[in-house]
Amino acid sequence: MSSRVQTNLQKVLAAGHFAVTAEVGPPQGPNPEPVRAKAAILKGLADAYNVTDNQTAVVRMSSIAAAKILLDEGLEPVMQMTCRDRNRIAMQSDLLGASALGLKNVLALSGDHQKASGAGKLNGHPGAKNVYDVDSIQLLGIIKGLRDEARQQGGDAITEPAPFFIGAAWTPLGPPVEFRVPRLAKKIAAGADFVQTQAVFDLKAFAAQVKKAHEAGLTEKVAILAGIIVPRSAGMLTYMNKNVPGIEVPEALIARMKGAKDAKAEGMKVTVELIQAVRELPGVKGVHLQAIEAEELLAEVIPAAGLTPRPLV
Amino acid sequence: MIVAEWKPLPELLAGLKGYKNLLLVGCATCVAECAAGGEREVNTLAPTLHMALKNQGQDINIITRTLERACEPEFVEELAEIAPQVDAIMSLSCGIGMQLIAERFLDKPLLPGVNTTSLAIREAPGLWTARCRACGDCVLGETFGLCPVARCAKSLMNGPCGGTRKNGRCEVDENTDCIWYLIVERAKARGELESLNQVRQPKTWSNSAHGGPKRIVREDLRS
Amino acid sequence: MSKPPSPGFSPEIVVLYCRQTLDAEAKPPEGTRQGDGFSARLVLLPCSSKIEAYQMLAILDKGADGVQLVACPEKACRFLVGNNRAERRVAHARGLLSQAGMAEARLELNRAAELTPEDLMNLAGRHAGRIKDLGPNPMKGGTN
Ligand code: SF4
Ligand code: SF4
Repeated sequence: MSSRVQTNLQKVLAAGHFAVTAEVGPPQGPNPEPVRAKAAILKGLADAYNVTDNQTAVVRMSSIAAAKILLDEGLEPVMQMTCRDRNRIAMQSDLLGASALGLKNVLALSGDHQKASGAGKLNGHPGAKNVYDVDSIQLLGIIKGLRDEARQQGGDAITEPAPFFIGAAWTPLGPPVEFRVPRLAKKIAAGADFVQTQAVFDLKAFAAQVKKAHEAGLTEKVAILAGIIVPRSAGMLTYMNKNVPGIEVPEALIARMKGAKDAKAEGMKVTVELIQAVRELPGVKGVHLQAIEAEELLAEVIPAAGLTPRPLV
Repeated sequence: MIVAEWKPLPELLAGLKGYKNLLLVGCATCVAECAAGGEREVNTLAPTLHMALKNQGQDINIITRTLERACEPEFVEELAEIAPQVDAIMSLSCGIGMQLIAERFLDKPLLPGVNTTSLAIREAPGLWTARCRACGDCVLGETFGLCPVARCAKSLMNGPCGGTRKNGRCEVDENTDCIWYLIVERAKARGELESLNQVRQPKTWSNSAHGGPKRIVREDLRS
Repeated sequence: MSKPPSPGFSPEIVVLYCRQTLDAEAKPPEGTRQGDGFSARLVLLPCSSKIEAYQMLAILDKGADGVQLVACPEKACRFLVGNNRAERRVAHARGLLSQAGMAEARLELNRAAELTPEDLMNLAGRHAGRIKDLGPNPMKGGTN
């Protein structure tokens, strides 16, 4: 980690606090108000806020612009960048631009394939050409190069280092499971300072992977933030278990949600329990919370888990 | 082999508007192997086009030929006699053969009858799957003989994305293997899983289409 | 898309049949025969799996009103995969026919065994009956 950058997220982690990040999806339109509205709901609940980059390959306000709007609202963004839509020239240019705008947390992802954009109700752009000039691990290396060596991937110098706190995603339970810890090691070697994981429901399986990472010494080099999605119904869990790669939901949890009188309240309880459980795992330094299309739930669940107020560092 | 597929019939028919005499040309090499443009497909498409156009009120005379290799000038030359009798040529050869035909018969409109889509193998009867994308910087030596450029939907170089399905298939298509899943399997079987731990740096794409139209010069072979 | 029945229309049916569908005793009939209100050209195939989509399409393109492929019952094929393949090829050809604006019903697959030449004619007659509703093949009297 570069000493030059000091993002809020970085400082919270460095001070040994249990970090909280949340997610903000930009709108499908040019109006900044929806971003500001979400900011109003989420302000003070997390240390930093991920801004997705055309998630599921659906065209939305750019992550750079939405991240800047959050910043102006007093929230610290984590700008996501996928490898789907830009080559290394555009990526580096956007990274320099983001840095100039004060966006210092960046998270590198492969990105959803453009086919996903037409899979739901939208037309999307399944006919688009993707880029994948570099993959997410190579992108991490590029960001690190801009920061630590003040060099572009091609070798040319930039005027001064671009300070970034570098994030990555980790899917600990994705097949082939035996390669997921090595892949985390690759991400760290390439430049990741922190990782946010795919949503955790199967604590045992998650703990086993984190333990492997811990024993390999990886948790000293990278801050792992466990992904938590607030469950809202048994149906939602069943769907995710079946259709979302890397997400494993134990049958018992689905049954518990099914049996609950008030599914929403039960989902909150489950979330709080999950947060408390991952907090116990050596090497887990925080949580990354998502309440898909229901940000207001975070305003309830984060305080309920005892995670507010957020530390001022 | 080079793999092609018939263009949709409505597109073919739209392109044939106004023509009276058509030469429909196939190629007995790759496109015959992939059942898109061999003699059999030429013979299938000809009556199909003829019937369709006639039903639309257009009478067309279709002459058929299948070349041994549409990507070699001496074989294309076999069309020299028949070409003057037609007002357009539709080719079911790959894009390479098509261009040679177009170049040889400059005064004839060349209509592509197929879309050339991939470099693939016939995996099973009636099933062709991509194997190579002519990337110009082959990594098969590091990936246990499985190509991540052509066979990973995101051309990833450092292992599987988070989208691998529980059954080892790719997130993009439930019928296609996640190639990184297979690479890891093969590495394991070889006892060399560790070899995949090394971070692969960004690839050089300029030795393929990304470097501009490819031109290869071998002085020892020049005349 | 059915057209008004044409008065005096006597459909020409081409019957492509597999040797195995005939009674072992029967002498394979060939050539054109006149039926009641239709005519049938009987063509002997060594095996129905040998038939190609283009052959069936070409027959219709040349103006026959109907094509009937007669294959052995499923699982009875001497070459095992033969009649299954015939089914898929007929389906493929029918798909192309409909894309070409032709009635798919002009091409039909029948499964049968131990037929006599008369049975074959009866099958052709049944096919002809259905084709009467469709009217003559619009390809009749074309350029090629
Ligand atoms: S790495 Fe490149 S050259 Fe090698 S098989 Fe894949 S696409 Fe073809
Ligand atoms: S699931 Fe596998 S093959 Fe598909 S995009 Fe991800 S890494 Fe590539």
